[in-house]
Amino acid sequence: MTLSTLITGAVQLPPETRRLRQEVRDFLDAERAAGTILGRPDSWLTGWDPAFTRRLAERGWVGMALPRTYGGGGRGNLERYVVIEELLAAGAPVSAHWVADRQAGPSILRHGTEEQRRRFLPRIAAGECFFSIGMSEQNSGSDLASVQTRAERTDGGWRLTGTKMWTGGAHINDYAIVLARTEEAEDRHAGLSQFIVDLRDPHVRVEPIRLLSGEHTFNYFHLEGVELAADALLGRPGDGWQQVTGELALERSGPERFLSTLPLLIALVRQLQRTGCSPDQHARVGRLTARLSSIRQLSLGVAAALEAGRPADVQAALVKDLGTRFEGELVNEVREILPVAARFDATRGSFPELLAAAILHSPGYTLRGGTNEILRGIITRGLELSS
Amino acid sequence: MSAESLFTRAAAVLAGPHESNAREWPAESARSVWRALRDADALPPLDTDPAVLVALACEAGYRSTWAPLAETLLVARPLLAAAGLAVPDGPLTVASGPLDVRFTHVNTDSKVGPLGACGTDDAVRVSGTLSRVPWARAADAVAVLTEGPSGGPVLLLLETAECRQVEGVNLAGEPRDELVLVDVAVPAERVRRVPAALVREAEWRSGLARAALIAGAARGCVELTVAHTASRVQFGRPLSHFQAVKQEEAKLVEEAALIAAAVEAAGTALADPDAAEFAGWIAAAQASASVAEITRIAHQLQGAIGFTELSPLHLSTTRLWSWRDEDGDEQVWYRRVGRRVVEGDSDRLWPLVTGS
Repeated sequence: MTLSTLITGAVQLPPETRRLRQEVRDFLDAERAAGTILGRPDSWLTGWDPAFTRRLAERGWVGMALPRTYGGGGRGNLERYVVIEELLAAGAPVSAHWVADRQAGPSILRHGTEEQRRRFLPRIAAGECFFSIGMSEQNSGSDLASVQTRAERTDGGWRLTGTKMWTGGAHINDYAIVLARTEEAEDRHAGLSQFIVDLRDPHVRVEPIRLLSGEHTFNYFHLEGVELAADALLGRPGDGWQQVTGELALERSGPERFLSTLPLLIALVRQLQRTGCSPDQHARVGRLTARLSSIRQLSLGVAAALEAGRPADVQAALVKDLGTRFEGELVNEVREILPVAARFDATRGSFPELLAAAILHSPGYTLRGGTNEILRGIITRGLELSS
Repeated sequence: MSAESLFTRAAAVLAGPHESNAREWPAESARSVWRALRDADALPPLDTDPAVLVALACEAGYRSTWAPLAETLLVARPLLAAAGLAVPDGPLTVASGPLDVRFTHVNTDSKVGPLGACGTDDAVRVSGTLSRVPWARAADAVAVLTEGPSGGPVLLLLETAECRQVEGVNLAGEPRDELVLVDVAVPAERVRRVPAALVREAEWRSGLARAALIAGAARGCVELTVAHTASRVQFGRPLSHFQAVKQEEAKLVEEAALIAAAVEAAGTALADPDAAEFAGWIAAAQASASVAEITRIAHQLQGAIGFTELSPLHLSTTRLWSWRDEDGDEQVWYRRVGRRVVEGDSDRLWPLVTGS
């Protein structure tokens, strides 16, 4: 993999996406007019609004890349890309279905039994079934293979014991896909399996972990001897590592890896349109726009590669490092372009409040989805192996 | 013959052996590149897919090709063609700037304006100096944009033999010559009045051509750096096994990938007149901006050898240091992009980024 193969080529979005994009923009205009809160940074992490999700689902924009047989939209991943980038740029509240749409749905489609597909996918696409990610633990962050949560075989299925951490939405979602050790193995990547766990199970205890902003999205998620039927296993026992790493390219390269703070830049431009703009302010806005556009091209390249069935793990790591560093740089640049004291207690949606939200969320950008320092190791190794 | 095979043939020529002392004899080198392209039937015809031309310019940047390939294919030729001027076959270059331009055949019967404001035809006589013209001494002709004798821009095709040349070079030793014009007579068939839009197009085309070259040279920096850190052993292990090295190398790869993606997107956008200009600005801005980080990391990771002529790294980095400023540095492009984003009173940022 030399650099030339790392760049997956300029992507021209299929012509039908032009109309789709306009449909999404019209929908968002109507939502704005109706006063739904939009234009917020990091809305895919904190904008939990099941009613908004259902309105999206009515238009076929949740689970849209899932096959029609399972209630999905049967559309391509590039069409899905257009919809989600529009939603993120608008700062729409999409966190309720985010993991179900991005990860759980495709994962159940790929690894699930026919029964699991019929049970979950139509509800995901209807915007009625929300998922959390049950991967990280107290001692397993970047080093996921070290998970301690255990699944033991029982007569009828499995018993899960352990504690997941940083689990977004575990207190409000319906299910989590949990990575657990099913077997001790010499190879630490072997012996792991994935399970679909009902978050309402009486042996699941969810305990909040507040963000430094005081917001509640993260949780401890204790599995206290959760009894699962055999059909809760997702995929094959022992294949958990392959299944989890297979999701990573999709998880790391999407538009949520560079658009989390774009609503703040859009709000800044509106301020500059009102107050007037100096050549230096023009240049700084131009700098951010150039970088944003270039990162988006790389991200689209990964989406196209995945759509064509080509592996893109290294490219995805590259997009995630560039994109999430950009999300943070944007916040700092905005501060310098238009110095305003950030205020979390200012009117919701006002410029100082949006700035505060973006600042308070900034430590997360380069951590979630794989710490950037680890991703850089993946990039270097990927290039070296190929040259 | 397909566009792809043209690219493959041309890329093979650029990868071939260079003139051994190209730096001392750049004009000879450029002519030999042109000869080799012709011999391989790899000189792109005028109707070549513009995305292929951009890819070729990248290749020229990657190989540090001693010839004005990007200037000819992406700037001079399309401008001459757009203005309806005959496009010469050989190496070309472009220049712009204020010159003293007068009608050769003044229309003494005209009642419009002072004497000299009208000519009986478009033939002109030109005096003045064009500075830092890329590859002037190697080019057969130069496409010159300047203000015409009756106001409004004109595009002139000058044969370089008609001008006096004062040689100069950029940081990599590439020709950046001064052309001194002393009452040069340009016949009407080599003069066209052009719309202001063509002047803008000349600017972004030059920026895009430079960005494509930068993308190629950045790729060269990555490949040399990866090869070096994988093979150079210190403290008993390859440099690439050190975490600190990995972190820096990844950032180098990322900046190079960023330029490549922006340039490829701009190449694709050339087919769409509505999108081409903004995409060209973005590519030019990102390319110029990323040079500092790319050259810093490539040199840091390649140690003392990269700082000398013992390593080929300087062929790429000295070019990058010049190219990022020629035809406009990142601040110039940033301001254009920013003005476009902020002007008006609607939210234009996102529609501009998505091109719709």
